[in-house]
Amino acid sequence: MEYWKDETEPIKAFLKLFENASKDEELNSGLKKVNQLIWFDYTEDGPNCSFNVDCRGGEIKVAAGKPEGKPDLVMSLSADDAHRSWSNKLNPVMAITRKKIRVKGSATGLLKLAPKLKKVAVIYEKTLKELGWEDKIMK
Amino acid sequence: MRYPDINFESFFTWANRPRIMYSPGLRRELGYEMAQLGATKVVMFTDEGLVKAGVADAVAEEVKNSALKLVGTFDEILQDARIENINEGAEFYRKTGADAMVAVGGGSVMDTAKAVNILVGSGEKDFRPLAEQAGLWEGAQPLPPHVAFPTTAGTGCEVTTAMVVLDTEARAKLQVTHPYCNSDIAMLDPELTVRLPPKITASTGMDALTHAIEGITSTGAQPISDALGLHAVRLIFKYLPLAVKEPDNIDARGNMLIAGTLAGMCFVNTMLGAAHATAHALGAFYGVPHGFANAIMLPVVMDFNSEHSPERYMMIADAMGLDVAGKGPLQAAKEAVEAVIRLKSEIGLTETLKDFNVPADPEKLMPMVELAGTDGQISYNPRYLEEEDILGLYMKAIQ
Repeated sequence: MEYWKDETEPIKAFLKLFENASKDEELNSGLKKVNQLIWFDYTEDGPNCSFNVDCRGGEIKVAAGKPEGKPDLVMSLSADDAHRSWSNKLNPVMAITRKKIRVKGSATGLLKLAPKLKKVAVIYEKTLKELGWEDKIMK
Repeated sequence: MRYPDINFESFFTWANRPRIMYSPGLRRELGYEMAQLGATKVVMFTDEGLVKAGVADAVAEEVKNSALKLVGTFDEILQDARIENINEGAEFYRKTGADAMVAVGGGSVMDTAKAVNILVGSGEKDFRPLAEQAGLWEGAQPLPPHVAFPTTAGTGCEVTTAMVVLDTEARAKLQVTHPYCNSDIAMLDPELTVRLPPKITASTGMDALTHAIEGITSTGAQPISDALGLHAVRLIFKYLPLAVKEPDNIDARGNMLIAGTLAGMCFVNTMLGAAHATAHALGAFYGVPHGFANAIMLPVVMDFNSEHSPERYMMIADAMGLDVAGKGPLQAAKEAVEAVIRLKSEIGLTETLKDFNVPADPEKLMPMVELAGTDGQISYNPRYLEEEDILGLYMKAIQ
């Protein structure tokens, strides 16, 4: 991995990112509208390198690892590309066409949030600073 | 004009699969080319209007004159590719026992045909779960032979790896991509476009112009796409007024077909912007035909964006034939907006959103604003838009 020293680091960063992003009214309501159990699968970088977001039923629950139930959507990519994506430095459409992002299940809900990636990137930068990982911030 | 300082993403890819052939009367090569692709039994996808106008027959005749067998014509394609219609089309394809398809039509026909071919190739029967997945690249395999004859000079669907599908239940347009969904051969035969009414010629031509301009100004813009988009702009500004005024002018029709294809090859590699995002939502909520919606939104969006990528609009102004020498990029950008407005007037596209019964009531517009704000294409607009910006664009376009 280019940006992470082990598989725990990205998950720590991404869980914190979702915690912070959920405090933003627009992103919070956008995520709730997705209404899915989503597994962000980075296991190509380690068996525990993944987290899940359950935004069904008007709640947002984020947890490390694979979800217990069958996810509605699985987004598989590397932890480095996830870092690029949350930093708004990875063109998601191009990444799908290059099979760097692999999608399984209904992605229409989550893709509706793609235009908000610029806003997410600002929150991600703050999150990395909170964690003392300024060196990971992409310029 | 001296080439301005232009930025583009430091990493980009450019890909385009189909072979493109051009000639007035090109349909006479159809039998030979489809046989080269391994076809023996061909099913045609088109719409009722093209059957009535004799355009579908002109192509069908060439299949019959060849060693190929025409085993059926599915002419029930509606405006905007629709999931139920796609599923019916795939069932029709299978029942005929065809091993290849020819699509004859505009964007709705070609997008429907692409989706049908994905269903046939994958053995699936319902397109809905595939449409919801949006990106169908993982494990994608080449599809059965597919030749497309665009009958409008506009959508670029013959070459793009994307299709837009109307979900009538969700009142949304879904954008779906598949690496092999575009035609194996895009056959550009301008003789098939001469019966296109002036209004449709004009609106589909504006669709092509919007593809080119948004492709050049997208955040994903890159030099190869720039070259394609800028030449499309040159051809459209020269030949669209001619094609509208002289429907039988094969030279004008041919150059417009080429422009539509170039613009498609431009944007499929860079994506688009706010004009398309707002146009998709207009289609979903008020049924505004895509070409008209783009024609209305394009100058409004260009004006909104002009200060954020003036150098790119300056290149566009130059391609439009405007004298921009010695002018600053922003002035050139503003003149490009005026040139689009003049072009629309010249080709008789004077409609505003009022003419499509879009209400000038911000509250009523908000669901459409929300939909446009979540459209995938809006991410590629050179200027970031909040919902109030999108509402502002619509309000301006209603006047």
